[in-house]
Amino acid sequence: MAVTEVPASSVLAVDETAPAPARKWLRSLAIGLPAGLLVLIFGACFVLPLVAPIPKPTGGDVLSSSLPPFSPGHLLGTDPNGNDIFSRILYGGRSSLIVAISVNLLGLALGGSLGALSAHFGGAVDTIIMRVLDVFIAFPSLVLTLAVAQSLGPSQRNTIFALAFFSIPAFARISRAATLRLREQPFMVAAKLSGTSTWRILVRHIAPNIGPQLMTFAMLGMGIIMIIEGALSFLGLGIPPPAPSWGNMIAQGQLSLSATPLLVVWPSLALFLTVIGFNQLGEALRARWSGR
Amino acid sequence: MSDTLLQVEDLRVRFDQRGRRVYAVNGLSYRLRAGQMLAIVGESGSGKTVSSRALMGLLPPSATVTGSARIDGVELVGMPEPEMRRHRGADIAMIFQDPTRSLNPTMRIGAQITEAIRAHARVEKDAARARAMELLSLVRISDPQRRFYEYPHQLSGGMRQRVMIAIALASDPKLLIADEATTALDVTTQAQIMDLLGELRSRLGTAIILISHDLGLAASYADDVIVMYAGRAVEYAPTRTLFAKMRMPYTRALLDAIPRLERQSHARLPITPGQPPDLTALPPGCAFEPRCARATPQCRTSRPPFAQHEVGHWWACWNPCKDGEPV
Amino acid sequence: MLGSPSLRLVGKRLLMAVPIVLGVSILTFWVLNLIPGNAAQQLLGPEASPDQIQQLEEEMGLNRPQVVRYLDWLGGAVHGDLGTSLVSRQPVTDELGPRLAVSGEVVGLAFLISLGLAIPVSLLAARWPNRMLDRISMVVSTTGLSVANYVFALLLVLLFAVQLAWFPAIGYTPLSESVTGNLRSLALPAIAIAFPLFCFYTRFLRSDLVDQMQGEDYIMTARAKGIGPWQVLLRHAFRNSAFGLITIVGLNLSTLIGATVIIEQIFALPGIGQMLLQAINTRDFIVVQACVIVFAIITVLANLLADLLYAVLDPRIRYGSN
Repeated sequence: MAVTEVPASSVLAVDETAPAPARKWLRSLAIGLPAGLLVLIFGACFVLPLVAPIPKPTGGDVLSSSLPPFSPGHLLGTDPNGNDIFSRILYGGRSSLIVAISVNLLGLALGGSLGALSAHFGGAVDTIIMRVLDVFIAFPSLVLTLAVAQSLGPSQRNTIFALAFFSIPAFARISRAATLRLREQPFMVAAKLSGTSTWRILVRHIAPNIGPQLMTFAMLGMGIIMIIEGALSFLGLGIPPPAPSWGNMIAQGQLSLSATPLLVVWPSLALFLTVIGFNQLGEALRARWSGR
Repeated sequence: MSDTLLQVEDLRVRFDQRGRRVYAVNGLSYRLRAGQMLAIVGESGSGKTVSSRALMGLLPPSATVTGSARIDGVELVGMPEPEMRRHRGADIAMIFQDPTRSLNPTMRIGAQITEAIRAHARVEKDAARARAMELLSLVRISDPQRRFYEYPHQLSGGMRQRVMIAIALASDPKLLIADEATTALDVTTQAQIMDLLGELRSRLGTAIILISHDLGLAASYADDVIVMYAGRAVEYAPTRTLFAKMRMPYTRALLDAIPRLERQSHARLPITPGQPPDLTALPPGCAFEPRCARATPQCRTSRPPFAQHEVGHWWACWNPCKDGEPV
Repeated sequence: MLGSPSLRLVGKRLLMAVPIVLGVSILTFWVLNLIPGNAAQQLLGPEASPDQIQQLEEEMGLNRPQVVRYLDWLGGAVHGDLGTSLVSRQPVTDELGPRLAVSGEVVGLAFLISLGLAIPVSLLAARWPNRMLDRISMVVSTTGLSVANYVFALLLVLLFAVQLAWFPAIGYTPLSESVTGNLRSLALPAIAIAFPLFCFYTRFLRSDLVDQMQGEDYIMTARAKGIGPWQVLLRHAFRNSAFGLITIVGLNLSTLIGATVIIEQIFALPGIGQMLLQAINTRDFIVVQACVIVFAIITVLANLLADLLYAVLDPRIRYGSN
């Protein structure tokens, strides 16, 4: 007879206060809704300008400045320079998203590998890399990226580079922790003992196992990166005007906050929706993959 | 009976979780006298833990308890929570399986005991401390002065369980429920704790309910034994009677599964095939029928009543084992 | 009182902080000099001739190898000399003091507000999980984490300064002038910084408390003693959550400190964040360097403090195992 021990609270350790049954469709909705929102946003920023008659985001006509929303040809009106706001939102989103994706890819690829390799090799290599990472992580992220951006000058490419300074160590730390946890597992020990090459171990064993965790982190990281990029652009050190970025649009709107608050509201809303989309997706994926 | 401490009648507990209804306890009845040690034995899912938690009102909100459980005449089922709190610790106390996890790791031992002391009486700090030291000595912890100020992780497993007992006895309960209290301990420590419980029982007159999956443990220490399966009592008798004349095939199987010295080494333990029943969908007949070697067609269609078939010996079976008969 | 494992830990951490601070200064130096020769050029502007640039470089010793310049700077820094501002011609260290005081006050207020709200809200939410307060606070804190603090700041200004005029939109009133004026000028900035932190702390604390109340055996033991639900929550669950809270407060410190930069900009507060930004805009790289390093050092020290607090308070670490 299989007699199994039952710890005192495990029989009753179901989440007693969970409001609704965690049925499958609810979970799918938790992933589907934010994913859908993001698809909409991406579609709007990347595809819509190609298929719909959206005016250019720069080079506006001063004669048609500060038009209110729902003016003909200008869905959200125009800014004080005469540029169409809706168009600037879309193109600004495009820049911001490109920056965020690039930074995350860099972080995932470079940071993820660095952390995994560091944990895999262990010993002196690991210690040195850890100390270096500690130094990077000791910096307040915004300050570090400000310093880099100031040094290099504002441009989209430099913004990506500056943000990578923050993203790569962050990914490396997560990746290292995840790989360390993986090291204990029997199949990892077996692989190492059987003389599998480092490259193979990295690709066939480590990557698939820490992948989900890194992906979740990347999702959540998208939100953070977009906010910091927004901050950089807000301070004038990110994507330089007249090219739009949600951050510099907010900064521009701040100048006439009391008169035309909508100039701040539109890009803020866009940023908020995008970030919450990524955050919710990241949370839902984390819930799905950690099997809670 | 005048010295009946606890009378449980047709106790039923069901859980409504996430749209499923789990019938964890399905009509449990027994009587406990003051100072008696009763063992409730069964495998996981049998309802032994749930029924005891029900007595103390320690079940989650998804649980519905019906039936009756009276301690000293006071009805516990359906008692409102604030009143229940007055009885917890003061009349009924409980100790749990894992002493490592059952003690707050960031609180000193002494504080955890004095908390129990002051839960039911207005006691001055110094008086509480003195009483705590007394309790520590009572449970045979050496150097109580020092231990009082220590944290749980500084004590061994056996000592932690003793502290749990001290906490449980802090307000002089009439009944102590030991829920798998020795399962997480090594054999030697297990014996020490059981001896301690026995000694406390005779010294203080505390009744003890021993919950366990270990029939051997019940055999060594308890006065009476209830065997539970699928939320019901299936056999109930004084220990000696039970072991001399086991009737339920399930009890038989439990006993046979205990490894014994007399057996040949590496001989297979007799295993009862099948799984414990699904508590959301109990069969109309005997719950053990699918796994029972003595099952008859009647067993599948109608549930055998739990009745006193012999003096002091209750069971629920259509085809019980006869004296000396193997399963 | 402090067992030796604790002292050893403190010593070890302090020791480890030194190379990190050094590393931070090296990193700063390197980052700010990513394009060598840029500093002088930036100072003089795009119209400067190569001769002018070269002259300035020689004057300022910018043509020396980076390592030499760094060591030179380090030598000064150790004595408290962080250089002289290129714009104001004053020693940087002199300006730092009052600036740090202002930033410190904002950050301190933000800290108080965020924790002061997060703890009671989480306790109430954990006491009655999945009821109204819990659901609302969870929605607010989850959504709040997706709001950038500068966006929130501007919305605060829009509502409270522009519409309601309860608080000034920008500007700083020193304590010496007026206490209420000081608090009024710092209220919105502090709230702007505090809000995302509140969301973070609440999310963590609420779920940690609920996890304990539902899953931990010592909670069951406590309930079995017959003590009331608030006592169980406070004396057992919250006590343990406090450690986790210290850890995440520590984790968030760098965000907190970095937030001052942008918030001071929005509210025109004369703090160290604004000092950094002004220096960036005026190409005063000496000040930029000094500010960045100060920021980083504060972060390191604050993290160290959180670590130490944890080590000192957690009895499992303090007393080791037997």
